[in-house]
Amino acid sequence: MSVTKLAYYPGCPSDATAMEQDMSTKAVFEKLGVELVEVEDWNCCGAAEVEDPELVYALNARNLAIAEKEGLDIVTPCSICYYNLERSNIALKADDELRAKVKGIDSALDYNGKIKAKHVLDVFVNDIGLEELSSKMSKKLNLKVAPYYGCYIGRPPETAFDDPDDPDSMDKLIELMGGEIVPFSQMKTLCCGGPLMMTRSDIAFEMAMKILDTAKSAGADCIALACPLCGMMLDCKQADIEKALHVEIDMPVVYITQLLGLALGIDANELGLNKNAVDTKDILGKVV
Amino acid sequence: MIKTWELDPNFKEEIMNERGGEHLTACFQCSTCTLGCPIIDYVPSYNPRKIIQMSLLGMRKEVLSNPDLWVCLICQTCTARCPQDVRISDLLGAIRRIADKEAEAGNIKIDSSRPIFDKAFQHQLAKYGRLYDMGLAKEYYPKREGSFFKGMMAMMNDYKDFGMRMFKKGKMGPKAMFPEKVKDLAVMKKIFEEMGEK
Ligand code: SF4
Ligand code: SF4
Repeated sequence: MSVTKLAYYPGCPSDATAMEQDMSTKAVFEKLGVELVEVEDWNCCGAAEVEDPELVYALNARNLAIAEKEGLDIVTPCSICYYNLERSNIALKADDELRAKVKGIDSALDYNGKIKAKHVLDVFVNDIGLEELSSKMSKKLNLKVAPYYGCYIGRPPETAFDDPDDPDSMDKLIELMGGEIVPFSQMKTLCCGGPLMMTRSDIAFEMAMKILDTAKSAGADCIALACPLCGMMLDCKQADIEKALHVEIDMPVVYITQLLGLALGIDANELGLNKNAVDTKDILGKVV
Repeated sequence: MIKTWELDPNFKEEIMNERGGEHLTACFQCSTCTLGCPIIDYVPSYNPRKIIQMSLLGMRKEVLSNPDLWVCLICQTCTARCPQDVRISDLLGAIRRIADKEAEAGNIKIDSSRPIFDKAFQHQLAKYGRLYDMGLAKEYYPKREGSFFKGMMAMMNDYKDFGMRMFKKGKMGPKAMFPEKVKDLAVMKKIFEEMGEK
């Protein structure tokens, strides 16, 4: 296996709404024998709320520079953090003037373009590889899964690591674990509505509802996802959506790192499966 | 009706000088962006192709005060599908930043709470280096509602069930009441002073 050590960028929700994603990411990499070194004193990537690209580049130059000093590529379980880190990386690498301007703010932002930022899903499927993963799996997931990719995995083109219209990295991983993919292709890459949650919750709720409802009609045992904002909308807010739209959904939503952890034989609590807002007990019963 | 005397021939350049707005004139008006946009199912007037057309024509005021600018999800679907690499998702961001500056200068009014939210978010980063949810909510709601009291009521309304749900899962303990701070706060301050919205 080529990957043995990576810098880890947890992202802001990692000790709050998405703590199970953080827990399962750490547990899975440990089991796979990949050492994670947390980016020392990391700062927020700017999420979707910092609109000025130069401000995003400056914020992420600091995180990139810290990992670069360690000589490590950065891995993050959050799609938005990944997008911000890697687009900053690309912009800073390509533009000497920009790099000089950013470095001029403070020497802590002196980044020389020597590393890459990666999404956990990309590392699992493309760096570690399915064969290696398969050799370490000890459990089978008898689950029907709706794989939800959202934005930033297949777009925009320069940072994408999967197909924009029909991504399949998560599908492959789920099938490898013994899971069955339910018909879900129209929903896979539709935005969850998260960026409008605080300003147009009416739209955001409808969008999330569409995804949840499709998974339910398709007979899924759970939705698998790879971003804490999607987790916030589809899992943490699911009861609010049910109440606002007068529907009953009750669809478990888990992070792909949690599913992979189960297949690797890691204890459910260590993967934070008691932290997901919608109860995951029914899923656990189908792991054999 | 287009009133030619109200058109601003420099608007094109103004957008193209903003980061993200560079590819504006590459658009050949095919509508691929609009047809694939998830927002059109919810906001019938939403039309990124038309926003670009109006920008190319120089309809500065109409474009900048269009509330539809603020319901974009930044989901990048349009960017991924555009045959002309217009990078619409980024381009709309560039237009929003111009709109925001104009609103700050008192020249237009923005009919959306999104700029208030985005600013409140950025204030947390400038202060702590990481997102502090509680601080964000405490700034956003009162500003959106126009008074502290109304803001607190709106916040309670949105968060009482959610907060309890998260609390039960151990995701919103006493720790969440206080900000997680980056140690090197001086550098965060510098970043926002040099690059942030003035
Ligand atoms: S898809 Fe691209 S070229 Fe076509 S209308 Fe939209 S921005 Fe213009
Ligand atoms: S980025 Fe905005 S305009 Fe483009 S498809 Fe998404 S919501 Fe529509």
